[in-house]
Amino acid sequence: MSNWTRVAAADDCPAGQLLGVDAEGVPVVLANVDGTICALRDECSHEEYALSDGDLEGDEVVCVYHGARFEACSGANKALPAVRPVKSYPVEVRDGDVYVDVG
Amino acid sequence: MAQATLAPEGVTQALSAEAVERISADEPTWLQERRRHAWSVYETTPMPTTKLEEWRYTDLKKKLDLAPLRLSEGTAAPDDPAQWPERLREAMDEDREASGHIVVIDGHVVHADISADLAKQGVVLGSLQDAVEQHAALVEEHLATEAVPAEEGKFAALNAALWTDGVLLYVPKGVQLEAPVRITRWLTESGAAYLSRVLIVAEQHSQVSYVDEVLSDDFESQTFTSTAVEVIAKDGAQVQYVAVQRLGKGAFYQSVQRTLAGRDATLDTLNVALGASVTRVDLNARLLGPGANSDMLGLYFGDGSQHFDFNTSQDHIKPNTASDLLYKGALDGSSRAVFRGIIRVYPGAQKTDAYQTNRNLLLSPHARADSLPNLEIEADDVKCSHGATVGELDSEAKFYLMSRGLNRTQAERLVVMGFLGEVLAKLPLGGVVEKVSRVIEQKLAQHEG
Amino acid sequence: MPQNETIQDLDLDEYKYGFVTEGKPVFRAEKGLSEEVVRQISAHKEEPEWMLDFRLKALKVYESKPMPTWGGDLSDLEKVLSEIYFYVRPQDRMQHSWDDVPEEIKDTFEKLGIPEAERKILAGVGAQYESEMVYHSLREEWSNQGVIFDSIEDGLKNHPELFREHFGTVIPTHDNKFAAMNSAVWSGGSFVYIPKGVSLNTPLQAYFRVNQERMGQFERTLIIVDEGAHAHYIEGCTAPVYSTESFHSGVIEIIVKKNARFRYTTIQNWSNNMYNLVTQRATVAEGGHMEWLDGNLGSKLTMKYPSCYLMGEGAHGEILSIAYSGDGQHQDTGGKVVHVAPYTTSSIVSKSISKGHGRSTYRGLCKVYEGAHHARSNVECDALLINDTSRTDTYPYIEIEENDANVGHEASVSKIGEEQLFYLTSRGIPEEEAMAMIVRGFIEPIAKELPLEYAVELNRLIELEMEGSVG
Repeated sequence: MSNWTRVAAADDCPAGQLLGVDAEGVPVVLANVDGTICALRDECSHEEYALSDGDLEGDEVVCVYHGARFEACSGANKALPAVRPVKSYPVEVRDGDVYVDVG
Repeated sequence: MAQATLAPEGVTQALSAEAVERISADEPTWLQERRRHAWSVYETTPMPTTKLEEWRYTDLKKKLDLAPLRLSEGTAAPDDPAQWPERLREAMDEDREASGHIVVIDGHVVHADISADLAKQGVVLGSLQDAVEQHAALVEEHLATEAVPAEEGKFAALNAALWTDGVLLYVPKGVQLEAPVRITRWLTESGAAYLSRVLIVAEQHSQVSYVDEVLSDDFESQTFTSTAVEVIAKDGAQVQYVAVQRLGKGAFYQSVQRTLAGRDATLDTLNVALGASVTRVDLNARLLGPGANSDMLGLYFGDGSQHFDFNTSQDHIKPNTASDLLYKGALDGSSRAVFRGIIRVYPGAQKTDAYQTNRNLLLSPHARADSLPNLEIEADDVKCSHGATVGELDSEAKFYLMSRGLNRTQAERLVVMGFLGEVLAKLPLGGVVEKVSRVIEQKLAQHEG
Repeated sequence: MPQNETIQDLDLDEYKYGFVTEGKPVFRAEKGLSEEVVRQISAHKEEPEWMLDFRLKALKVYESKPMPTWGGDLSDLEKVLSEIYFYVRPQDRMQHSWDDVPEEIKDTFEKLGIPEAERKILAGVGAQYESEMVYHSLREEWSNQGVIFDSIEDGLKNHPELFREHFGTVIPTHDNKFAAMNSAVWSGGSFVYIPKGVSLNTPLQAYFRVNQERMGQFERTLIIVDEGAHAHYIEGCTAPVYSTESFHSGVIEIIVKKNARFRYTTIQNWSNNMYNLVTQRATVAEGGHMEWLDGNLGSKLTMKYPSCYLMGEGAHGEILSIAYSGDGQHQDTGGKVVHVAPYTTSSIVSKSISKGHGRSTYRGLCKVYEGAHHARSNVECDALLINDTSRTDTYPYIEIEENDANVGHEASVSKIGEEQLFYLTSRGIPEEEAMAMIVRGFIEPIAKELPLEYAVELNRLIELEMEGSVG
C-alpha cells in the first residue's frame, strides 16, 4: 500500500544536509547525498533519538547523541552503538517537491 | 524566546484555568485555593520527556495527546442497577461479600452504601465531593497535602486542580471491617478526560480492605483517566488497597499512588493491570514508623500493542521497617512492560528488611520487557535484595505437563496461570482472584487463536 | 597473607598528596582545552592529517555535549578541567626523585611487597626502562609470533592501516562527553595485535611496554585479537598510583574476532583527589569470548562500565567487577552486556565494599535485541557496608526484546555479619583481622581470578584498609 506524502520543498534539503520532516505522523529524516534525496525513519535504532539532529558525512547519517552511523539511502547500520538498521522509505522529487512513501 | 508566547505545556481548550474556576465555583475557599495552587504548579511543571529517567521508556509525545480531550460532563446516571450497563453489573455480581459499595459511572458517584452497623461505628464511605462539605476538617487536612500534593509532578498537579469525582473512606480507631469495600467504575465517553481521587484514612488499630475496579469497552478516540490515590494507615492500622484496571483499547490510564504507614501499621497494595492501551502507575510506599510493613504486589498481562509502565518506590524512613514487592507480568503480541522500582533506605533506618522482585514472561517474539530494580542504601544494618528476570515459558514445566497428556496450549496456559497466580495467592481477596484469573484466561485464549 | 606483620597506623583513605616542585622549565600546552592545544598535541606526535582532523572534530563534539547529570557528583569538574594541562610532553614531565615521595607511600609499597623497580614507576619517579631487561626475552618471543605490543603512538606510526581500520570503531567520538574529550587529546596507552591462532601463555602487562609513558592521563588503548587467538592483558596494580594529576579519562577499545578469547584485567588504585572517567568496550564476534576483570580501589570518583557487544552467534561476555570506596570516595561502576546475536551468553558479577563515608554504586545494562534468540544473561551484585555512614546503590537496566531469552539479575546488600565476627573473635582472632578475613571471603570469587601476585596484593590492601574500621 503506497502512501505518497509531500514532506518538503527540494530546496529545503541542500546537498550534504539532513532535514527532519513529518510524513502523516511518521518522523522522517531526509538526507541529500550529492543531489540524491533519501529518507529514513527519524529515529536512531540505538536509543530512539532523532537522527535529524545529527550530520550527514558522505553517504552516512551520524547520530549526534552516541555516534551511531547509518547508510543514508538504505538505513543499514554502519557503526556502533547501533546494531540494527533503521527503516528507509521510497522518495520521489516532483516539480521541486519531495514526496515520501511511508506505506 | 518564542516560547514566552506559547501556552504552558499541557494547557488546552478543556484543561484550563477557566475549568478550574468552573469546577470549584461552589466549593469552600480552602479547596478553591488548593485547586488554583495545583493549577499554577501544573502550568509551571514541564511535561515529562524521555530525557527524565523516570519517563525513559514512555514517550508521552507519542503516547498521549491532551489537546483534543474534553472534561467529562455527562449527567449522573440514576441510582438504579437496572439502568446500569450490563458489564458493570456483571463485574459487581462477581464480587463476593462486601462491607459497602460505591458505583461511579462517567465520573459521577451514582451509588454508595455501607452497612448500618459500620456507619454507626463512624465508618465513612462516600463521594469525596460530598465529603468536602460533610467531613470538611478531615478532607482539608489530608486531601493533596501529605500524600499526593500537586508538587508530586505534572499529573498529580493536573489531578489536584481538576478532579471531579472521588471516594473517601474513613475508618475510626479500632474499627475492623470484615469484608472489603468495593468500588466499581464504568467509563463510556470516548475522548474524555476523567480525573478522580481516592482518600483512605485508617485510624489507629483499624482494619480495612479496599478494592477499586475500573472498566470500559474500547474507545474510538484516546480517553484519559487520571487517579490520585492517598492511603494513610495510622499506628497499628491494617490496610489493603487493590486496584483492578480493565479498561478498553484507547484508554490512557494514569495513577499516582502514595501509601503512608505509621508505627506498626501494615499497608499492602495490589495493582492489577489488564486493559487500556497505556498504563502508567507511580506508587510510593513510605514506611514512616518503626514496625511499619508494606507488601506491594503487581500483576499485568499485555497483548496487542499495550504499554505498561510501573514506577515504584519503597521508602524506609524509620528503623525496623519492612517491605516486599513482587510485580509479575506476561506479555503477548507486541505489548511492552516497563518496571522501574527503587528501595531507598534512609540514614538511620537500621534493621530494614526490603525486597523487590520483578518477573516477566514474554509470550511472543515481538513483546518487550524493561526492568530496572534499583537500590539506594544509606544504613548498614539492613537486609535488602532485589531480583529481576525476563524469560520465555518454562520449557521444562511445559514439557512435563505435555508428557502428562496435556496438549501444548493447555500446558502453556497452566504455566502462565501458575506464574501469575503466585501474585494473587499473596493477597487472596474473595472475588478478585476469580475475576482476574478469568480475564487472564480470556486473554490467553486469544493468544492461542 | 602477611604473617605476624605489625601494621602501623596507616589508612590509605587518609594519605596526603602534593609534591612541591621547583619550577623546572618544561614544555606544556596551555592550561585548559582549546583547538590550539589539540593542534600542538597532534604536531608533537607528528601525526598524519586524518588524525588531526579526527581530534579537531572530537573537540567540537566534546564542546557540544553537556556534562552528564547522572552518576557521580561532577559539579567541581568544570573547575578542575579549567586548571589542568591537557598535554605535557613525556620527556618534559615533571621529574621527581624517590626522596620526594612521602614516607607513608613508601611504607604502603613496602607492606604490599611491590618490587623495587615498580615502586618507582608507581610513584612517578622511575623510568620505565628499569624493568626492560626482565621482560626482554618475553618481548622477543612475542614479536617472533607476530604479536604487536606497542605504545598507541607507535601503533599509529608503524601500523597505519591496521590502526586506522579499527581506531574509533568500537567507541565512537560521540559516545559520551569524556570519550569525545579523550578522542581530542589522547596520549599514551597501548596498541596490541594478536595474530590469528596465536595463543599467549604469559599475560601482556602494561609495565612491559617500555617506550613512552605507561599510562597517560588520556590513555587510549586499541586491542585487536584476531581469529582464534588467545591472550590476557593486565593494566594497573593494587598499589596506589601516585599522581599529582586529578583527572584521568581513558578510552579502551577491544575487538575480539571469531573464536578468539581475551581477558582484560585492570586494577586501579588512584589517589583520592582523582576523577577517573573511563570508557571501555569490546566487540565480540562469533564464538568469541571476552572477559573484563575490573578492580577500582581509589579515586574521588570513578565512573566506569566495561561493556561487551556480543555481535556474533555464540559470543560470550563476562564482567567481574570489584569496587572499594573509602571515605570521600565514590565508585560508580558496573558493566554492560548487549546481546545482538543468537546463542550469546553473558555474566556480570559485581562486588563492592563501602567504608566510612564511602559510596559504591553499581550501574549496569543488559540488553537483548529482538532476534538474539537463546540469549542468556545473569547479573549478580553484592554490596558490603562496613559502617552506618557508608552508602550503596544499585541501578541495573534490563531491556529485553526477545522472548526466547533468559535474563536474571540479583543484588543483595549486607553488613559484616555479627555472627561471623563473633565466631572469629571468640577464637582469638583480633577484630580488625577478623573483619579483613570476612571481606576477603566476600571478594574471593573475584580475587581468585586474578594472577597470584595481584591477589596477594589485593588481600594485603584489604588488610590495610580494614585498619581503623573497628570503632
